[in-house]
Amino acid sequence: MFMTFKRSSTTLFLDPNSETIVEFEKGEKLNIILSPSLYWVKKQALPVKSVREVKKLLVSIFEDSLPEGHYSYTAYKHGDQFLLFAYEDKKIISLLNAKGINLVDIGSIYFAQNEFSSLEGAVTLNATQSMYLKDELLVLAPSAWISESKELDLENIELSKQTIKLQQFGHIVDNSSLYKIGAILVILAIILLVEIFVASSKRDGVVELQDAVFSKYKLQSTMFQNESTKSKYNTIHKAQTKLREHIAAFLTMKLKVTQKITLIEYKNRVLYVTVSDISKGHERSVTSQLDSKGIKYKVSYNDDSMKVEMKI
Amino acid sequence: MNQINPLQIGALLVVIIAFLFFKLSGVKAELVEANASYKMSEKLAVEVSSLKSVYSNKKKTKDAINRILSQSSLKAAALNVKRDKKSVKISSKSIETKALNSLMGKILNGSYNITNLKIKTLSKTKASLEMEIKW
Repeated sequence: MFMTFKRSSTTLFLDPNSETIVEFEKGEKLNIILSPSLYWVKKQALPVKSVREVKKLLVSIFEDSLPEGHYSYTAYKHGDQFLLFAYEDKKIISLLNAKGINLVDIGSIYFAQNEFSSLEGAVTLNATQSMYLKDELLVLAPSAWISESKELDLENIELSKQTIKLQQFGHIVDNSSLYKIGAILVILAIILLVEIFVASSKRDGVVELQDAVFSKYKLQSTMFQNESTKSKYNTIHKAQTKLREHIAAFLTMKLKVTQKITLIEYKNRVLYVTVSDISKGHERSVTSQLDSKGIKYKVSYNDDSMKVEMKI
Repeated sequence: MNQINPLQIGALLVVIIAFLFFKLSGVKAELVEANASYKMSEKLAVEVSSLKSVYSNKKKTKDAINRILSQSSLKAAALNVKRDKKSVKISSKSIETKALNSLMGKILNGSYNITNLKIKTLSKTKASLEMEIKW
């Protein structure tokens, strides 16, 4: 199944039909070369210049030649032509897992096609299969068909830079959809961050304005203290307004010729007004005028004068 | 080579977005609260400031009363005026009613904090006066 060859970094050949037991040190980085059984390859000349352009065409190029499955694709320049690859990530990952290889331990993954492009003769892969180059493409053949087949030697192999990365979750959601959903969510997160920043700035601005109001009007440090101050001055204002209204009520009052206001006194928030020449039972001419202005009062009498008491 | 499950990334993004929504709603609530507090402070500041300028501005009140007392009709009345840190006391044992009307007309039409007042008729043309105005 696996053939192990000791190198400074361990290189393994992954073949689904090999029964060879895998030997490697845990935690060591592994280079994996994929057997031709694990990918599909085409060598083709295409009317495009760059590999990037080729990659856009890969799905349609392989469309009718692959069995049902979820494939990843890649391509490399090969002279005037391109080498086009299709492989099933899930299948390769399952095989690696079956061999006890953790994906964390894998350094790079290579195609045998790229790593054995100069292979001379045939190489035995497993009990029944060998591989050899035919028209520059590495192909599998029953070992029985091949007269001379040598053992696979990874000891002196020079690995190329043509590697692939397996998509562990490609079968769950394809990359383009993933990027689109991810982009939408990231954009949404950015919008929210901007909104938070704007709202925070506005809030800070309002707090600064409030501080400015406090210093401009020399307010006390807490709203409670300021409310208390306002309440105190409101009480004074109401009392002074009421005092003036009550005094005005007496000063504009229609009295008989003989009746006079002899005393106006205000102390401890109580207003006293004494009107002369009114005896008990004859106060109606005065009290009716107070009633009409909604003034609450108490009256008392002393000889022929009436004393009106009003709480301010 | 180990990769993160895209569903986990999606879930993480959703959690981040939910957190950001929560944070945003909190900041917006703070903004609304700050706006309300600012408007309330501004209204309170204007009210307190105007009330203070009327009832607690010692210099303004003192100057205004001095102007009233410096009028020729009141100068002649020889009012007894005592000023201290918190108030002014104006009194007269006998004041012409004409001068008294002039004085009281100006005091009652102005915004002064009268804490004590006693006007007693002595005769048709005379009265006694005791008044205390605080600032």
